[in-house]
Amino acid sequence: MKGYRKYFTKKIVWFMVTFAAALVLNFFLPRLMPADPVAAITGRLASGMTDATAVSRIYKQYQAEFGTDKPLMQQFFTFLGNLTRGDLGTSFSQYPRKVTDILGSAIWWTVFLQLPAILVGWLLGNVLGALAAYIRKGFDKVLLPLTLFLSNIPAFGMAVILLVVFAVNLKWAPISGGYAFDMIPNASFDFMRSVIQHYHLPFWSIVLISIGGQAIGMRSMSIYELNADYVKYARFLGIKDRKIVRYVFRNAMLPQVTGLALSIGTMIGGALVAEIIFNYPGLGTTMYRAVTMADYPLISATTLIITVMVLLSAFLLDILYAFIDPRVKAAQIN
Amino acid sequence: MSNTPVMEVRDLTTKYITRFGEDIYAVDHVSLQLWEGRSLGIAGESGCGKSTLALSLMGYYFPPLHYQSGDIILDGQNITQMPPDEVRLNVLGTKIAYIPQAAMNALNPTRRIIHFIQDVVRAHIPHMTKNDIRNLATERFEKLGLPKESLDKFAVELSGGMKQRTVIAISTILSPQVLIADEPSSALDVTSQKMVIKMLRNMMDEGMIKTMIFITHELPLLYNVTDDIMVMYAGQIVEEGSAREVVFDPVHPYAKGLMDSILVPEEGMRDTKLAAIPGTPPNLKKPPAGCRFAPRCKYVEPRCTGINQDLRVLRSGRASRCWRDEDELRRKYASER
Repeated sequence: MKGYRKYFTKKIVWFMVTFAAALVLNFFLPRLMPADPVAAITGRLASGMTDATAVSRIYKQYQAEFGTDKPLMQQFFTFLGNLTRGDLGTSFSQYPRKVTDILGSAIWWTVFLQLPAILVGWLLGNVLGALAAYIRKGFDKVLLPLTLFLSNIPAFGMAVILLVVFAVNLKWAPISGGYAFDMIPNASFDFMRSVIQHYHLPFWSIVLISIGGQAIGMRSMSIYELNADYVKYARFLGIKDRKIVRYVFRNAMLPQVTGLALSIGTMIGGALVAEIIFNYPGLGTTMYRAVTMADYPLISATTLIITVMVLLSAFLLDILYAFIDPRVKAAQIN
Repeated sequence: MSNTPVMEVRDLTTKYITRFGEDIYAVDHVSLQLWEGRSLGIAGESGCGKSTLALSLMGYYFPPLHYQSGDIILDGQNITQMPPDEVRLNVLGTKIAYIPQAAMNALNPTRRIIHFIQDVVRAHIPHMTKNDIRNLATERFEKLGLPKESLDKFAVELSGGMKQRTVIAISTILSPQVLIADEPSSALDVTSQKMVIKMLRNMMDEGMIKTMIFITHELPLLYNVTDDIMVMYAGQIVEEGSAREVVFDPVHPYAKGLMDSILVPEEGMRDTKLAAIPGTPPNLKKPPAGCRFAPRCKYVEPRCTGINQDLRVLRSGRASRCWRDEDELRRKYASER
């Protein structure tokens, strides 16, 4: 137990250091972009105005409000101070909305799209991979090339194919958005139906892509485990095949858990492509817009969420592994 | 000692079928008898079919190994003729137990020892309670001098020697009549090796097992472990006898060659030329005609490659696959000193 505490303390310290470094990058990298977002906002408000001093006054006022007239270091400490209070600032591009408001509505779209898609893709992929390894023969001969093909289609390619085939040509599903454009989000039955209709294509585009990679990984891990010495030994002790298959698939799953944790961690980054193509109102689309508009606070906030998610899932994975794989535990603690 | 062997193997032949459909006879008409209280050692170089023989003796075959012909009589039953599922249920683990060559990797890395023992026991006695199984395992571990704390550990938490001894204890948990140990001590340091051998002999003495086959590439080791020795070459038995006879008075030139190539650390040893059998065991896809050892034999004559050699019984319990007179061979060996 003492070994555990030491191990986890070390882990936590390392994650704090990583988080601090990421925080610095999250803040400074977007602000190094050669752009003047305040000028863009001023330009929008001042269109039609003829008084140059008035325009410049508006510009100054916004600079003061966003704090962009202060030195970058000072801005950084303000950012940190606000962060401790859970305040991520005001969006430039969607002024005067608070960044936390924008993220608060977008994040749920992403989570409800990505989490089920990743889980379903992971489960289907692993089951198919395990079956291919166990059955071999014809099933494997069909599945392996198919999964190789699927896993090599880039995410945008898959999304575009689904979009063209099912939305444009077959008209089975709407082309874009998270719900019909003429609706306002509410708890009505009609709205729910619209959401589900819009859900299918982005969902399946993510599922199909992840099935491929997972199935290939699971298949080769299972084949490796099926030929392990302990399988032969268990057979020669008369243990039933059903039990041995359980040993094999449990052990083959272990590396796959890493894959799952990593895809949950990089969920929001991964959401980018599917969300942009389907114009889904999630974090991916938000981040994309923020980048194009040089919306510093919004960019910093979305990348911060990605950082936290990746770190958190990596940390949870480390803890989880110590419980599910005694080999990892032995290596970590000694 | 009763006058029927615990297990009798008659003319057992098994083969590997390669991906290209070729047959490789790695065990070629092997006959042997295992008697209660007597252990048998099998020696030979790598690639001579020792491990395949160990697998073949289990009576349970899966690709690429296939049964060809011959009988294995155990408890009055010919297990080569039993359906595979019945062998698995009623023979493996309960009548014949196996200790694999790579015992280091023989244990499922994610299963505690006690849970694995539960799986083994329940495969044969489905209704035995967890508590009874734990008691059985604890008692057995204590008897064999293994710490009972190991039961709740994972394989990674045990040292190499401990893992090997744990595997032996698991294999014999249901007190099988025959134990087949394939190089159980080859990967261990001398101290662990000694402990393993002591443990195996102890199990014979205590009657946990009735008889044992011990396979190794170290012929002299067998002198300390088993009562009888068979030397195997190219899938065939080339010499058999008591441990003392085979080690100190080998008849077949291959057995003699194996004994001569042993390194004994003694004064002046560093400067002497190392005696070794030239060449390597033949490819069993196309074994040489006549005596299979002829291409590597110092004493080869035209007659050797002409006709197949049978295992000749010299006297009770002593046999050799060389056509020459044993005294003639002894004189040849003596003249070379």
